[in-house]
Amino acid sequence: MSTSQLTGLRDGTLSIEDEHYAVREGVGLVDRSAVGRLRITGEDAVDLLDRLSTNQMQGLARGCGLYTVLTNNKGRVVDLIFVLALDGHLLVLTGPDERTKVAEWIDFYTFTEDVSVEDVTDETGQLALVGPKAAVLLEELCGLDVLETYESASVAIAGVEVTVVRTDFLKQPVYEIVLPLDGLDAVREAALSSGLGVAPVGDDTLDLVRIEQGVPAQGRELTEDSNPLEAGLIDHISFNKGCYIGQEVVARLNTYDKVQRGLVGLSWGLDAAPEVGADLFAEDKKVGVLTSTSKSNRLNRGIGLGLVRNAHSEPGVVLVAGSPEGPATVVVEGLPFTSEPS
Amino acid sequence: MTTAERQPLTISISEGAADHVRDFTKQAGQPNANLRVGVKGGGCSGLTYVLDIVDEPKEDDKVIEDHGLKLFIDRKSYIFLAGTTLEYSGGLNGKGFVFNNPNAKTTCGCGTSFSV
Repeated sequence: MSTSQLTGLRDGTLSIEDEHYAVREGVGLVDRSAVGRLRITGEDAVDLLDRLSTNQMQGLARGCGLYTVLTNNKGRVVDLIFVLALDGHLLVLTGPDERTKVAEWIDFYTFTEDVSVEDVTDETGQLALVGPKAAVLLEELCGLDVLETYESASVAIAGVEVTVVRTDFLKQPVYEIVLPLDGLDAVREAALSSGLGVAPVGDDTLDLVRIEQGVPAQGRELTEDSNPLEAGLIDHISFNKGCYIGQEVVARLNTYDKVQRGLVGLSWGLDAAPEVGADLFAEDKKVGVLTSTSKSNRLNRGIGLGLVRNAHSEPGVVLVAGSPEGPATVVVEGLPFTSEPS
Repeated sequence: MTTAERQPLTISISEGAADHVRDFTKQAGQPNANLRVGVKGGGCSGLTYVLDIVDEPKEDDKVIEDHGLKLFIDRKSYIFLAGTTLEYSGGLNGKGFVFNNPNAKTTCGCGTSFSV
């Protein structure tokens, strides 16, 4: 199916396969307003976030962003956040259920610094354009040139002033549009009526693509039970920036190769349905936990993500997922998932 | 003020540490300066100590006088420092200024940060 065939099917009746096709081959439009959005002001904001998180915040240029991990003093994940430097403030995107926790976390560690955190989630909206044709759509909507990953621009779409930032969080083109809440409908309608075959895409489809791509999510792979190394967030860690909360633990895990488990793909037959949270066993010994599940008709199998001990994380290893319905056999796969199990 | 008169939950500085602060302020050309004591977020364990030579307190600072020196502490830092004694560990292997903080449950390997 070409993406143009999707034009007009915008009443939420698209099948998950159609939505999935749009995201992988064309462009999908996702309402991401549930993501937490914090506006942080004050001249010490960058310095404070640098002391609280894993990535190098110093020198973050205006208009640019980065992912960084808030970690506790045990080196465990508090949240993976995206920080965008805008005129006079930072825009911080948090996990969907983490905005209050993150705001309170930053506030707790603010002593005499000039830092102020405002939760603007309820007064703003967020739309994501996902897929290889997202840049073409943006050019059509607002004349925006191609952005590099983590670059942003302030533009007007359908008369609404918006901030567009390319996060690529699904390891493929993703442009997040942050805008005033009262402009959400106008921008959504402008995107859907562009004539470029934009498909409205739901959360289930987005989660399927996330799992296929091997991207960890807050509350699933990213919890205070996991550290950023085992959860696959090493690209968002600076090992030479100096101290931040949890740095000693994270550095030691990396230096001495002490990371005990890692993020893996897992698959099973379409008729099996192991549940999120199921323990994973190898010969009756618990070796991991199933953290995300979905069903991929494209790949013709059930797929998921899990955190599995290193000795059992090679592709092809067979594990058993515990379940109230009875045990289910699952197979370890490499990430991202490919048509043929790796 | 003598040790016996001290309130249990305050912040104090040892005589040796106070002498070193005075040496430092003289060398810095600020012989009448006092000491700002506080904590800030960061460091491996979550909170790190802050020491600074300043002339005046900020509004709402707690001001504690000990061994002839005024300590200025912001109210939030005080919560994490109440009961602390600031000491000085000298000599070639000395650690310099040391916070003996009864609120610190853990400290990082290098000893400069703590958690409560």
